[in-house]
Amino acid sequence: MLKIDDLHVTVGGARVLNGLTLEVPQGEVHAIMGPNGSGKSTLAYVLAGRPGYEVTRGSVTYDGRDLLALPPEERARHGVFLGFQYPVEIPGVNNVYLLKAALNAVRKERNQPEVDAFEFLALVREKMRLMRMEESFLSRGVNEGFSGGEKKRNEILQMLVLEPRLAILDETDSGLDIDALKIVAEGVNSLRARERSFVLVTHYQRLLEHVVPDRVHVLVRGRIVKSGDRSLALELERRGYDWLAAEAA
Amino acid sequence: MSGDLTQRIAQEHAVAAESLPSAVVAHARRRRAIDALVARGLPTTRDENWRYASLRPLERVRFAPVQGNLNLTQGSLPSAIRGYAPIPGYTRYVFADGRLAAGASGPAAPQAGVTVHAPSRTAATLPSLAPLDRGSEPEGAFELLNEAFAVDSAEIEVASPAGVAPEPIGLEVVFIASASAQQGASYPRLRVTVAPRCQLRLVERHVSLGDEASFVDSMVDVQMHDGASIDHYRVQQLGARATWMDTLSATVGRSATYRLHSIGLGAQAARSTVRVHLRGEGAELALHAVAAGDRQQVLDQYAVVDHAAPHTRTEESFRGIAAGRSRVAFNGKIIVRPGAQGADSNQSLRGLLAGADAEIDVRPQLEIYTDDVRCSHGATAGKLDETMLFYLLSRGLDRDMAQRLLKWAFLEDVVSRIAVVELRTQIEQSLAGQIEELDALKELLHGRPST
Repeated sequence: MLKIDDLHVTVGGARVLNGLTLEVPQGEVHAIMGPNGSGKSTLAYVLAGRPGYEVTRGSVTYDGRDLLALPPEERARHGVFLGFQYPVEIPGVNNVYLLKAALNAVRKERNQPEVDAFEFLALVREKMRLMRMEESFLSRGVNEGFSGGEKKRNEILQMLVLEPRLAILDETDSGLDIDALKIVAEGVNSLRARERSFVLVTHYQRLLEHVVPDRVHVLVRGRIVKSGDRSLALELERRGYDWLAAEAA
Repeated sequence: MSGDLTQRIAQEHAVAAESLPSAVVAHARRRRAIDALVARGLPTTRDENWRYASLRPLERVRFAPVQGNLNLTQGSLPSAIRGYAPIPGYTRYVFADGRLAAGASGPAAPQAGVTVHAPSRTAATLPSLAPLDRGSEPEGAFELLNEAFAVDSAEIEVASPAGVAPEPIGLEVVFIASASAQQGASYPRLRVTVAPRCQLRLVERHVSLGDEASFVDSMVDVQMHDGASIDHYRVQQLGARATWMDTLSATVGRSATYRLHSIGLGAQAARSTVRVHLRGEGAELALHAVAAGDRQQVLDQYAVVDHAAPHTRTEESFRGIAAGRSRVAFNGKIIVRPGAQGADSNQSLRGLLAGADAEIDVRPQLEIYTDDVRCSHGATAGKLDETMLFYLLSRGLDRDMAQRLLKWAFLEDVVSRIAVVELRTQIEQSLAGQIEELDALKELLHGRPST
């Protein structure tokens, strides 16, 4: 599904990713963990195509296609979804109709007709119930005046409606209380499927108690220094990151 | 240069003077206006409040009024105004190159309580309401120019017939320019008086028929008696080569409310000066201005609001977008006179730079001569927000669509205040550029399904 090979990335002249290699097979959930500044969010942004991130070496293949050659909007239409660490407020642009436009963009790529307005609303309402979001979110501006937790739930709502094939969730757990974390985890789990892969970028392992990953990778100074199963996350919780940083040095 | 130009204007006026109708402006007044204009001269970009204006086109203008010979009909408007639709319940008055075009106006029957006349066609008596003290004499060069050369005028008086409760009156006044500046100038003139407690809804448009480089110098005078209310929509959508000089003066009486919406989209060079005199206690102004410039357009607006009485209020917002190599400016000055205690003003001026070679200038100014006032202002100018753009792209939206959407969202809080649906729809179409995407944009902005 996703194959990252020897990826080198600089941001504003600074080297952030230094030969990152990672493979996420179809249907698996992989967690990327690491200390602050290790390049976790950079990885998420590079995969989604944010401008300002310069790939100096390496490749990213998604579904056999050169992902880095695609502009961000095409990646989205091909089923790549980024759940933002800091979802952007866009006053004046309607939240639910942005979602509809996003869904239609994906459907167009798949040669499907535009979604029926009533079916769409029914779908959104169903997913909103799952995310415990109030009806009023339908009429609000994109993330406008949302609390931190509401923004994160809104990201997951978008993911549930768009049904991406590759979901990259960038610290979706940060800033959530335990109840909101459970709701978000439920949302993610409800979407786990054989044809879908997840990359969970997180600093703490508590999300992984609710969304059990197939693999855990530790990112230090822009490269994967250790990979393992879920027990690695627990070990990191116990021992911190310093011992790995020392090993990597 | 300015002196040579005013001399030339005076000469052109001397030649034309005989033929200018005294029913519109008395000959003696025209003479005084020319003298004052020669004495004060035309502004230059060295003048503080004219820094952003484009005055060069004036050199090529023939100032004598163009001899209008347009034969306009009811069907003429849709070809001059893209997406035009008549507004139900409104009576329309069309002026071609400054003269009333009866054939395109209608419906003929005037509404109860409103007197509209154009001196070129009727010998009706002048409005009977006493004129208000404007606070200042016509002083602007372009106001004087209009006074000297105007060939016709839309004279509107709204009053309540005895014993009848005031009902809001709806009027649309359309000024069409068609001639080139070498042939002569167009002088739209509009004078509005609203009696106590009466209400007026007024749509004023400035448009072009054809693509001539017209010179249009408009003058609007608004007088509002105590408790009167006006919703005034001014839309400037002149052709791409036109030059527009505009002066609006308004006097607002006690507890009267003036809601002024100004939408600037057209012309090569446009300059609008707005002076509002809040003369009576509790007088209120809401000024909402939008300007969208592209190519090499220059859209400049200067608004002075004079708080001359206690508890007067101003709410002013401006949203301007400069794309291409255009220059868009809004200079908003608020004066609070001694004795205007309890005055309250709020300015929110925002500019969006959408072209690498474009320029945006927003400037709030405050002059306060009394204590006990509340004046707040915010002014920002910046580029399209890259993080917002990336967020929309990451959800699969076209780049073009995403950029247009963000520009719209930026204008939205001012455009959405246009309460006349037919007008708002037409403005939205003009802003959207591509009509086929309008429904999609509308949905994204308002969350309202396409109609």
